[in-house]
Amino acid sequence: MSGAPAEATSFKARADAALADRILKVAVERTAGTAEAKRAVAVDAFPDFQAARTRAAAIKDHVVAHLGHYLEQFEANATAAGAKVHWARTADEACDIVIALCKTAKAKSVARSKSMLGEEIGLPHALAEAGIGRVETDLAEHIIQLADERPSHIIWPAMHKTREQVSALFKAKHRTPHEEETIAAMAESARRELRTQMLGADVGISGANFLIADTGAICTVTNEGNAELSLVPPRVHIVTAGIEKIVPSMPHAVHMLRMLARSATGAALTQYTTFYTGPKRPSDRDGPEEMHIVLVDNGRTQMREDGLAEMLRCIRCGACMNHCVVFRQIGGHAYGGTYPGPMGAVLTPVLDGLKQSRDLPNACTMNGKCQEVCPVRIPLPTLLRGWREKSWREGLEPQSLRAGLGLWAWVATRPRLYRIGTGLAVRAMRLLGSKGWIRSLPLAGGWTRYRDMPKPAAQTFMDQYRKENGR
Amino acid sequence: MNAREAILGRLKDDSEVDIAAEAAALLGTPERPAVDVAHVEAEFLARLALPSVSASHDVIETISDLPAAVARYLDAQGEARALCLPPDPRLSGCDWSGFALHQDAAPDEAAALAIARKGIAETGSLVFETSPQAPMLPNFLTLHHLVLLRVADIVPWLEEAPLAGPQPRAHYWITGVSGTTDIEGTYVRGAHGPRFLHVILLRGDFPHMSEQ
Repeated sequence: MSGAPAEATSFKARADAALADRILKVAVERTAGTAEAKRAVAVDAFPDFQAARTRAAAIKDHVVAHLGHYLEQFEANATAAGAKVHWARTADEACDIVIALCKTAKAKSVARSKSMLGEEIGLPHALAEAGIGRVETDLAEHIIQLADERPSHIIWPAMHKTREQVSALFKAKHRTPHEEETIAAMAESARRELRTQMLGADVGISGANFLIADTGAICTVTNEGNAELSLVPPRVHIVTAGIEKIVPSMPHAVHMLRMLARSATGAALTQYTTFYTGPKRPSDRDGPEEMHIVLVDNGRTQMREDGLAEMLRCIRCGACMNHCVVFRQIGGHAYGGTYPGPMGAVLTPVLDGLKQSRDLPNACTMNGKCQEVCPVRIPLPTLLRGWREKSWREGLEPQSLRAGLGLWAWVATRPRLYRIGTGLAVRAMRLLGSKGWIRSLPLAGGWTRYRDMPKPAAQTFMDQYRKENGR
Repeated sequence: MNAREAILGRLKDDSEVDIAAEAAALLGTPERPAVDVAHVEAEFLARLALPSVSASHDVIETISDLPAAVARYLDAQGEARALCLPPDPRLSGCDWSGFALHQDAAPDEAAALAIARKGIAETGSLVFETSPQAPMLPNFLTLHHLVLLRVADIVPWLEEAPLAGPQPRAHYWITGVSGTTDIEGTYVRGAHGPRFLHVILLRGDFPHMSEQ
């Protein structure tokens, strides 16, 4: 159920299905809950995390303000180091470049190190269409590939899977699967399965957590070491990176890395942090002969022009979704886009269009938790409200909602009528409830199917106010 | 118009600010974990022992003690005295009699040794750079990763990893062993790469080598 294709259903249908999936709730809660607790410990141990967040936001704002300058600087330095830099306006352009490079390299198989940008541009699909074999080397992406599903979280793409589900999958698909039913044995099975495939790949494809302007290096971070095992043995290394991934220099990257690891997993640093600058040097003993870096726009320059520049600060840590009450209830697939959670609800309308994703900015309680934990202080609730307003202005809300709100506005601007109306509604609702709760409410079945509605107080605020003031 | 021109055309920057100065000012005094700079070795060892890093360590006085330290570790692990050794004269100058040495790592390599450029006290990280004498792949293929680190190369913070100047093909930081939490958030060691990390601290210097 959780792996249902997003395109086929509406957000409401997907959210309904997710809410009814008890296993999904347990799986999401286990991983997100652990991440939340670990982050809290890491942040408390850091000397001045709030000031560090402000600095991180300022670094990203500086880069976004001078993005053209830094991209040109990065291109010059990467080229000087022997890499070839490519530019792509759209997802299709980016995929076309990667496929052409794979074909030139006569690649039969590529090893891919997890990259959300790769997911965003639809690279797995493009490789399949071109008949190029793809090995996902991140353990979670490997699980997703075997299950033929989409990632449900940007850090833990397989967080919706239980160990029992993973075990069944590996037993069906691995050549020499695990025998013991432990998570360690399952990871070992994946290690056996993937190692030979990584070493035999013709091309290694990665994203970049950071692009270092003053050296031309690209930086990847992993805890598994799968990026290095995917990118060092093949003859060609292809990087696809969003243009907003730039930082001015290595010391700036150091600051961002401190923020990224703590916000994502609560660690001081990821186990493996690698800066790749160009291809193998003439007398190096390993490394690729060619390095290609595809700089992808795909809506980012538009975001900068359309008042969404703050979203370009995002470093893809996933803290916003780990702390989101909505994400914790419905998981990532229900969002239907590449990026779930609060950051996904801001990005998906850019990538897929507001018309088909206007439900996402509405699926937010505005509790502000995402903004509180964001390491680069993105005002996510404000940006989500911006989408709601745009959706209203463009007339994308259904007629029933517009009519309902219009009626409410008409009544609300007539205080006497409003008081009579709310007084009647309160009395009617009290008749439906018992012991403080309403179990079933006409016209609000969507609410009462999953939880009870609190029974209203005996009197409205205005009734009590009048009584207190003797008027 | 090609894609490059189209993208850069939309990012025209007419501001008169000194971008380099602004970028430098953003660094200022960065917030970072406290490190007792008078005791960086102890600080580094404390981070190495954290569950998140979980590396073991040994200490030797001179580089001639290295083979004995490696033998000690491999014997304790029940591994054969076989070792993937990079073509680094500082290592090949040691007396490795009793060891089966090889330069290229096997897909199921048991043990590989490498020299770290720096140790970072802030995180317990080891800093490596690729060169003709320092391949990268063995350090990821091996099950037991053994690392020689000069005590004099331990520095307090990540900013002091060798960052300036011409970059090698790969500059990388290793902070613990290959791990994953991808199945139900449960931590497993040895996801793809090393399952064990063993640091051998060298109190003395590398012989007959000029300062790097």
